[in-house]
Amino acid sequence: MIKLEHLTKDYGKIRAVDDLSFQIGRNEIFGLLGPNGAGKSTTIKILTTLVKPSGGRAALDGFDVVREPLEVKKRIGVVPQENNLDRELSAFDNLRIYGLLHHLPDLEQKIEEQLRSVDLWERRKDNIQTFSGGMQRRLLIARAALGGPRVLFLDEPTIGLDPQVRREIWNMIRRLRAQGGTVLLTTHYIEEAEALSDRVGILSRGKLIALDTPANLKKMVGEYVVEYLDGEGNQLTRMCAGREDAECFLREAGIEVRRRRSNLEDVFVKLTGERIEK
Amino acid sequence: MNWYPIFLREMIQFKKKLFRLGYIFTSMMVPLLYLLAFGLGLGRSIQVPGGSYLGFLLPGLVAMSSMNNAYNWVASGLNLSRVYFKTFQVLIQSPIAPTSIMAGYVLAGMVRGLFASLMIILVGLGARAGFQLTPLFVFTLLLNCFLFANMGVLIGMITKTHEDTSTYANFFILPMVFFSGTFFPIDRMPAVLQAVVLCLPLTHTNILIRKTALDGQGITAILVMLGYALFFFVLGARKIKNYSE
Repeated sequence: MIKLEHLTKDYGKIRAVDDLSFQIGRNEIFGLLGPNGAGKSTTIKILTTLVKPSGGRAALDGFDVVREPLEVKKRIGVVPQENNLDRELSAFDNLRIYGLLHHLPDLEQKIEEQLRSVDLWERRKDNIQTFSGGMQRRLLIARAALGGPRVLFLDEPTIGLDPQVRREIWNMIRRLRAQGGTVLLTTHYIEEAEALSDRVGILSRGKLIALDTPANLKKMVGEYVVEYLDGEGNQLTRMCAGREDAECFLREAGIEVRRRRSNLEDVFVKLTGERIEK
Repeated sequence: MNWYPIFLREMIQFKKKLFRLGYIFTSMMVPLLYLLAFGLGLGRSIQVPGGSYLGFLLPGLVAMSSMNNAYNWVASGLNLSRVYFKTFQVLIQSPIAPTSIMAGYVLAGMVRGLFASLMIILVGLGARAGFQLTPLFVFTLLLNCFLFANMGVLIGMITKTHEDTSTYANFFILPMVFFSGTFFPIDRMPAVLQAVVLCLPLTHTNILIRKTALDGQGITAILVMLGYALFFFVLGARKIKNYSE
């Protein structure tokens, strides 16, 4: 569904996206994980025709994002990191303008369905300046999903939201996939990438440093983590292939701080020596 | 009709602004001040060929006001939408041609320019300034709004900050207000300056808007205005087509 080949983006001397190549299949939820500045948003902006790449190629459903942007735009819905709803318009008008821009048939009915699905139908006439952050985020997702896009891009969809709203949005994303869509989301929340993604691509400084299912990525670095203190009181981490390995290490070390299952943060630390959630 | 959603969005915003306290008054403020200061004050001692000074000034104020409003609405709105509110991203990511985006903004700018002009025209009619609403007057007004709304799109697309739109206005729009024949006939200027102001689009609006019938000079004015409009339209549409954040 989505294919990137040696995709590169330079901003002056800074390389934001560095030789990215991977594919995303139909009906897949693909997570791009990495810290701020890793190139996640730039990658999404290239795929959604907002940024022109400096090199390489990207195609969506067989259409080149640079040479055939109109065909690409017909197939996508985008939830940006920054709220780009029209602040002076009501929730209904925001969706109406979007639907008209995308030539959607039966628009009124579709708007009602979407607003009901995000629990905003009763607030449809209200100016969105009166909405909370979570409500605006839900409206952004409803707008992106309005035409039933083949690919939905979500750039940090739950950033700054409380855990309850975050889980509501996760359920919305799962529903969208259940309706047959492909989802590409970026996040720097480990839990989010693990909970939602079929496969995860880990980005660091514009480069793809790992790509697999969350389970395989964790297996790659060791499924258990032992965190312990050395003689000088520094907290150290040891990745262990399995529970037995971890227990064996603990017996030898003689002191345990914590033993837990590994997560994608550990994968990132192992591969880059840095942390995602700083 | 791909331009319609953009036009509709701008009109919804315009309608909301229209009902805000003082909006109409604010938009009329500058031309009314000019009218009072120049028309009723200085104007008593200024002679113009073929009628009263007020009759000369009012079409100029209509041209000025339509230019200012068509330009500012589009340039300022587009710049804010692109740089601060990011709503322009929604247009770029929609399956519509750059010329449709351009057309939507230009038509909205024209409405804004016409609305502001209407206010001045009503004041002029009330003051019995002696100017007539001929078809040529209306055509000139429409063409002027079209021209400067197109310029607004281009400036809105190339400015990096909101302050830059004011800078362009100070360098290009404000000199035209004073030197393009709004307040006095351009033949009162030194010959060298006349040659310069004849290159400015508002000069041709002011020439055309005061004519009662089309002649050779009027046709030249139309061609110059259309040339400028086309120039701004092509550059603006190209900027939208090549847009990249």
